[in-house]
Formats: sequence, structure tokens, C-alpha cells
Amino acid sequence: MSKYSMHLLVCGGTGCHASESDAIVCNLRDELEAKGLMDTVQVILTGCFGFCEKGPIVKVMPDNTFYVQVKPEDAQTIIEEHVIKGRKVTRLLYQDPVSKEMISDSKHMGFFKKQLRIVLRNCGFINPENIDEYIARDGYQALGKVLSEMTPEQVIKEVRDSGQRGRGGGGFPTGLKWEIASKNKADQKYVVCNADEGDPGAFMDRSVLEGDPHSVLEAMAICGYSIGASHGLIYIRAEYPLAIARLKIAIKQARNMVCWAIRFSAQSTVLILNFAMEQEHLYAVKKQH
Amino acid sequence: MSKITSLADLKKKRDELKGGLDIRVKAIDPDSVVQVKVAMATCGIASGAKTVMEFFLEQLERRNIAAIVTQTGCMGYCYAEPTIEVKLPGQDPVVYGFVDLKRADQIIEKYIKTGELVDGIIPVNYQTIDFKE
Repeated sequence: MSKYSMHLLVCGGTGCHASESDAIVCNLRDELEAKGLMDTVQVILTGCFGFCEKGPIVKVMPDNTFYVQVKPEDAQTIIEEHVIKGRKVTRLLYQDPVSKEMISDSKHMGFFKKQLRIVLRNCGFINPENIDEYIARDGYQALGKVLSEMTPEQVIKEVRDSGQRGRGGGGFPTGLKWEIASKNKADQKYVVCNADEGDPGAFMDRSVLEGDPHSVLEAMAICGYSIGASHGLIYIRAEYPLAIARLKIAIKQARNMVCWAIRFSAQSTVLILNFAMEQEHLYAVKKQH
Repeated sequence: MSKITSLADLKKKRDELKGGLDIRVKAIDPDSVVQVKVAMATCGIASGAKTVMEFFLEQLERRNIAAIVTQTGCMGYCYAEPTIEVKLPGQDPVVYGFVDLKRADQIIEKYIKTGELVDGIIPVNYQTIDFKE
């Protein structure tokens, strides 16, 4: 059980990263160290909160305070005022452009008010470089269930019945795609994840990869199981260095920790996953139940 | 890092790790859980507010009560330190003074669990000023 009574979430997406969120993390930690609070307050670098225009963003939990345009030198004020004295730092709060009201909880901001996050549920909530936090949020449960309780046909039926569709312009039904792929006979099949994101001004793939990379790996492994592909490829652009770095970390952690996944070798921008799902291996997993 | 080799392992691991994210999960909807604020200014600390805060953190978890425990500055009742403010879901906050560990225990057992008020309440003597027109 954690003995921390407060979490400071610092945005580590590309936008905030570029405006020195790393330095904010360092300064917050230094400040906590100096005040002897390292055991009570945890600083976490997360994925993107989605509000890059006002970055870098620091969120204080559990009171859900949302600080915008934080500078590294504000770290001291946040620790001294908010963490120690429990007073919010008003000048760092978000000001509603219409009502001019200072808003402290992001739930009440116009930008976030109507959002229901599904794909990005973990983005800005967990540390993307720590598989433990993903597992704590039910991560790899779906893969575990699929591998130990379902046949590939059942998985495909489940996906079909869910009505899931591709998120590209075509909106192709995912279940149908998997069914066609599974019926196709081949010596070797691959799951290919196109993380290139060519459309101008679209960054949701990058946000998922940077903020919740394990969810991509888990989904690829589920797909691999249901269509009979033992390998996966992620094609990702060199312009997304942070996403590549976090994916590599995720793959390494998953390989060390989750036995069904995932071997990996990297060549420039193409990451190759090996799901290690040879039949014997799968049966070995099943037998243990 | 230990390997996970079965679904049962994975579930066990998840349940172990869940607590680490507790603070963040509760922060999504803080009004749905019990909120305890411990006044932690010089006066509070000198009268033992730190011990009281640790007590609440530890005991609420041990007694399986979903709660957020935070510290705040001086509430202005220095004569009655340690003071705490308890807000049950959907109710107005109640401020308690002279909270030692015995009273803290009573507050958890009676007020937080059953809603029954206990001794030491500091009556509301302020009004919140609303700046909106």
C-alpha cells in the first residue's frame, strides 16, 4: 500500500516536454527532498492531458487542482504554498476566457467538461514508463482473459458483436477485418500497427503511444492471437522520438513481466514485436489453470 | 520484477498495485468520498496535527473507508488545535476542534461511519463570499 498522501502529475507529452516539464519534475523533486517530503508526496511524469495550448501542466491529486503554464521556478511556490500550507496558487490556475473565473478543477473547464475518455483513459493518468501503473488500471487483463479462457473464434465474435470499427476515415469493422485475416492461410502472419499518423494536425495516435503505450501492445497481442499471427510490426515515424522511446521501454517491461508477450528488436523506426505465442507455449499457460 | 505466468498471477498483481493509484482514482470524483482536511499550520503542528493526520491516513485505509485526507493552512481556531474539517458526501463540512487520537477515533467510528455527531464541533461562524454577480 502506498503511504503517499499526495500525487503531483506533471504532463510529459511532447508539447509540455518541449516547454521544460522535465525541469519542473526535477525542481519539484529537489524541493520535496529539501523539505523532507519525499515519502509523502509522489511526483509522476504522465502522458498528455490534451490541453497543450496552456502547457506545461501540473495536476495536484487528490484535490484535482489543475495548474497551467507552470515554469520550473514555480516548483518552489507549489510545494511551499499548496503542498505544505494547503493554499492553491491562484496565479497558476486556469482562467475561463469568457467568465474570467479562475477554475481549479479541470472537470469544470469548458475544454474538459464534455469529454468522456475511452481510448485516452489512461493518458495523463498513469506513468507510461511504469508497467505497474498500467496493470493497476486493469492492464493486460483482456489479453490474459483471451489467452486463457477464449478461442480465437470467440475473440473475433466478441469484437464483431461489439461493433468496433477502425478509427481511420474508412471506419472498417474491426471484427470483420480480423475474421478475414484469420481465415487467410499463410506460413507467417503479422499484425501491423500503423503509428505513422500521416494526416496533418492529428496527434491522437502519438498521445496514446506516449501516454499509454502498453495498451497498444496489449491490443496487438490480442489481435495476433485471434488471427494466428506470431509477430507484430509497429511502423512509427522518426519525428515521434518520445513515442518511440516510451514504446521501447514498454516492450522491454512487458517482455520482462508478462510471459505471453513480447519479444522485441528495433531497427530505426520499425519496431518488431514477437508475441512468443507458439502453440506449446499457449498450452503451457492454459494447463496451469 | 517477477514474471507473470497466469491470469491468476496477473489479477493478484493488479490487486496489489491498485492501492498505488488510489489517490488519483478518488480524485476523479472527490465529492463521492469522505474528505478530511487537517489544519497544519504552526499552531496545528505544535499541538500534534501531524500525528492526527497520520492516524486518519492509516486508520481510514485499515477500516476500509474511501477517503481523501489532505492538509490545509490555519483555519483560525488556534485555541482549539488540532482542528480538522470533515466533509461527508453530499453534506456540508463539519469542523472539529481539540482532535486528539481518541477523538479522531470517535470521529471515524461515529461521524464518518454512521453520521452521528460527536463532541468538539466548532459551529460555522463565517459566510462564503460569492464573487459572481
